[in-house]
Amino acid sequence: MRVNSDWNRLRRVGLLFTAAVAASLLIAACGDDDDDGGSANVSSDQPECGQATGEPASGQPIKIGAIATKQPGTDFSEGPLAAEAYFNCVNDNGGIQGRPIEMVIETEQTDPGQIANAATKLAESEKVLGIFGNFSIIEGAVNHTYYEQNGFNVLCAGIAPEAYSTPNMACVNMGPRYSSDGAVQAVLNQDVDKVVFDQSNVPGTDYIVAGPRAVAEDAGVEFEDFADTPPIQDANSVALKLVQAAGENGGVVLNFTPPEALKILQAAEQQGLADQVKAWGCSTPCNTDFVAEALGTVWDDKLLVNAELNVTDADDEDSQLYRDVLSKYSPDIPLGSFTQMGFVIGQVATEAMQSIEGEITKESVNEAVLNVKNFDTGILCAPWYFGEAPLHIPNNIDWTTTPEGGKMVIKEDCFEISEADPDIAEVRQIEADDPSLIGE
Amino acid sequence: MVELGFLDLPSWSQLQPFIATGLALGGVYALSGVGMVVLYQTTGVLNLAFGAVGAMGALIAWELVNNAGMAEGLAYLVCILFGGAITLLYGAFFGAALAGRDPLVKATASLGLLLILLGTMSWIWSDKARSLTLPTSDPAFTVGEIFVNWTQLIALGLGIVVTFGTLAFLRFTNLGTAMRALANDREIAATLGVPVRKVEAQAWLVSGLLAGAAGLLLSNLVGLDAATLTFLVISSLAAALIARLRSLPITFFAALVVGLVTAMSTPWTPVSEYRQMAPFVLAVIALLWISRKREVTIPGASG
Repeated sequence: MRVNSDWNRLRRVGLLFTAAVAASLLIAACGDDDDDGGSANVSSDQPECGQATGEPASGQPIKIGAIATKQPGTDFSEGPLAAEAYFNCVNDNGGIQGRPIEMVIETEQTDPGQIANAATKLAESEKVLGIFGNFSIIEGAVNHTYYEQNGFNVLCAGIAPEAYSTPNMACVNMGPRYSSDGAVQAVLNQDVDKVVFDQSNVPGTDYIVAGPRAVAEDAGVEFEDFADTPPIQDANSVALKLVQAAGENGGVVLNFTPPEALKILQAAEQQGLADQVKAWGCSTPCNTDFVAEALGTVWDDKLLVNAELNVTDADDEDSQLYRDVLSKYSPDIPLGSFTQMGFVIGQVATEAMQSIEGEITKESVNEAVLNVKNFDTGILCAPWYFGEAPLHIPNNIDWTTTPEGGKMVIKEDCFEISEADPDIAEVRQIEADDPSLIGE
Repeated sequence: MVELGFLDLPSWSQLQPFIATGLALGGVYALSGVGMVVLYQTTGVLNLAFGAVGAMGALIAWELVNNAGMAEGLAYLVCILFGGAITLLYGAFFGAALAGRDPLVKATASLGLLLILLGTMSWIWSDKARSLTLPTSDPAFTVGEIFVNWTQLIALGLGIVVTFGTLAFLRFTNLGTAMRALANDREIAATLGVPVRKVEAQAWLVSGLLAGAAGLLLSNLVGLDAATLTFLVISSLAAALIARLRSLPITFFAALVVGLVTAMSTPWTPVSEYRQMAPFVLAVIALLWISRKREVTIPGASG
């Protein structure tokens, strides 16, 4: 009988705890986690996109496909959703030749078989006319050959080397290698005598580190690199290791996802290491207000972050339109680098499809995208282009940002990523051979 | 660096700062390891969800501080209480059903709780960067050439207090005696009138509170990231396994060794890349050493 009495008491306690846990979860779920852009300047007018007719499009939709990584810890789906938001704005403004654009988004969990199937499904089952808005870790490596064989010219924001080194893919971002080049350049500008580079220990580290190493060595500065396996479980030790390796006149450059970079930076702050080297740098993933907000003020004007895109609260027309479009058509996704990239992809694809004079087919759509050149937007430092080339790194001029009062602000205006990186040198030669790509 | 052939050993002055980080992590691993051992001894459950419980508590605390405007101290208390609550609930609802099952089944069931919590965390909190900085992390001082902050000191101190406090509790209190009785033989203890479910419930509660405390400290020492905190349980598990899920003092010292070896191998370039393997390697070495004199009997192979 005693057991039953204990059990009943336990059940009552259990019910109380259930209520407490439910209340905690409710508070958490109702939290305002993702609205970092909520306070940004937004116009109340109907955004003007595409032809800006104000008339809704009708008729047979033009199907566009996209593939995005979405798995625990890595969710890139905001990118194509931002492109879709822009397309919806275009659809409310006359569409393309009066027809609406329909977005088909496939998500993947970095499984090569699944990613290959997603591309096949988009092309052969969904019969999309273009693939615009791929945001993936490995998709470029898996599908670039398929795209080349099937005549797709893909607009993307990628990580895999193939997203930047193949003829049929052109990304609006520049990826980890060239962004790390930019971060190293920013640190070199602080007159450091050594650069220590640390990155995620994932496939492709040798490809990535080749760029920063070339940039540092071209400047005659000693270079040492490390790779730490994410998730980092000993951030204090990692921060100590990097600071010891750099020395008091050295600089540390990180190439990690925002949560991993934040761990190292916070560990450095808590151990008083932030001032024990001359400069700290970080590649583009750190360029988010989430990082600025989470970091203490000790990093204001000290952490130099390479920024492939403008700050989200910039006052140029394109940034204003970006905020207006997201506010009206996709208010649940936050302002940030990924949604900026998706928005730019939407703009590029729309401008390309608007240039089609005849029938809208897969061939005409992909030819139009291939012909995009001198695409000017305030969200990027320099005009963007696709063009026929063996490799594509059209985003090769960047800003440097730094945290300030919980936000990222511009620290250094647009500067060219160093041609000491042989890939960048090759791209500059392509631009020199056809100056019309960048409007010169 | 001191060059010793192919060895590229760091100097003593380079190693010193890593002692503080290693001891702090070791302290939290000890805290977690003790919680796991006490629960295992009392209920037979190896709670693999220990890290996930702490991670979720820490994320709830972050949410309460940053988006609900709750006072930090109160939010941290919620974190610890959440650990106790969710673990007690799991024990109350599944403990009895799993009581007679194989330890492997019990451990696998706790893996289910881990996956549910991890999925819930991924659902509620995206992969955006966030941090939980305890007020004890700012004021720092140096001991010799070692830079120490109060959070590190608290982590080590709590590990010591919990380990040896639990030892005293098990030895000198009625509940502790009941827990030891359950550890020896559950059936006989029940026959002798030990309130089995009540004792088990208290073991679940204490273990959960320790999970919440460990999650809070690790979110500051390591980072506020669901996956990282969830799988840090592996280091604590290694310490508990070295102690063969029995001895609390051995769990404590093994946890310190795991923390120190992991941290101090960081500046040693040839092995730095493999330092996350330290808990596994140490556990394997310890288990091989412990079983070195045992005879292996293969059924049917005699004669």
